[in-house]
Amino acid sequence: MPPVDGAGASAARPRVHGPGSTRRDPLVLLALALVLLVLRVALGMREPVTPAARLRDGLRIEAGQATHWRAPKAALAEARETGKPLLYDFTADWCPPCRVMKQQLFDDREVAADLEQRFVPVRVLDRRRETGRNAPWVDELQQRYRVSAFPTLIVVRADGTAPHRIEGYLGREAVLSELAIAEAEARGALAPADSAR
Amino acid sequence: MSTAIILTTLRQRFTSPLRLVMLLLLGWTPMLGIVVAPQVGFAPLTDCYFLALVLAAGMIGQDLSSGTLQLALARPLTRAQFVFSKWVAVSAGTVFVVLLQLIVAALVMTIRGAPVPWNDAALVLGNDVLLACGTAAVMALLSALVPGLGDLGLLFLAFFSGQVLGGIGVMKSWEAVVRGTEELQRFLKPQLDLAFLAQGGPIPWFAVVSYLSTVTLCLALAVVVMNRRELSYASG
Repeated sequence: MPPVDGAGASAARPRVHGPGSTRRDPLVLLALALVLLVLRVALGMREPVTPAARLRDGLRIEAGQATHWRAPKAALAEARETGKPLLYDFTADWCPPCRVMKQQLFDDREVAADLEQRFVPVRVLDRRRETGRNAPWVDELQQRYRVSAFPTLIVVRADGTAPHRIEGYLGREAVLSELAIAEAEARGALAPADSAR
Repeated sequence: MSTAIILTTLRQRFTSPLRLVMLLLLGWTPMLGIVVAPQVGFAPLTDCYFLALVLAAGMIGQDLSSGTLQLALARPLTRAQFVFSKWVAVSAGTVFVVLLQLIVAALVMTIRGAPVPWNDAALVLGNDVLLACGTAAVMALLSALVPGLGDLGLLFLAFFSGQVLGGIGVMKSWEAVVRGTEELQRFLKPQLDLAFLAQGGPIPWFAVVSYLSTVTLCLALAVVVMNRRELSYASG
């Protein structure tokens, strides 16, 4: 039995494999891949915020997101001005419950709009696992609120008092009712001790 | 596409004891999370990237090093058909495992009296189908380049290099390097989050085009590489 596509046989054959050959190149697929690659570069250059800048700032800004996360300094100023409590979402990309919480709460336009009426949201994205380090403000907030697990939500007044901690994700309704208690505490309608459970 | 290659690949993958053990560990360990806290829905199920890698490792390279590639290509089969069949087999195998996971997870939730979030299940399945197809395409390219399980080595080398370069880029504030490594990661793990469909948000065109570009490029290059590979009973 002769060798299949043997080296000897191919040496006598032209390198271009025409119709009928079992080795013809997928020209349509190659052309499509090239077009998509060009589009990818063009769209990548038009991304409003480069990933590098996101990394530097510790922020993740996604197109079409329902919740408009504030940068930490701007959030603090907004909280002082409006009297709304700050809502820190301590999260990480690799954390599955964080992704579910994001889908069920922060990506839901109705919930997101409601939360933004009541809080000033700040996403504190941990990137240690991906890049080996965090932006300094991320580390500082994690230390200040002793965050050791993801997801953790912290609701706090602009002056940093009356922090309320929600650790883990126990479902949409549970988190929303905890947030309502946290908001009442932060606005002074409920003393933190009253809500101790 | 060749049904015989698809079925043979699936049989080969699902009868390998080592792969089965790894699939069981990766596929069923997250179930413990659902048993403990069924109210969190499908959150404990991580994405199917490692499941896809277990099924994809050596998808072409092992046929090459074992000598079965020469036999397979003795059939009236183009090399493009061979590559596409391998890609479909690995993608379908991964989706099958994910489907099993979702069904068992839904059963556990029902038994534990927790509501089954069917919308989330659809989203998880959609995202995993795309991730499985993307990962299989990348592994098809890497596996066409090197024999045996060298594709896994290439993948981890590229990941590791990306992590190191990315870390250096962040420390030195070299935005081009950081951007380059992000694109490398995007290439090595092609995925598309379909949450925008569920939420009715705008289409993230860059993410869509990036995903399609990676899949088409990898498959096209895998065929080109295979077309230029010289095979004989006497080689390698």
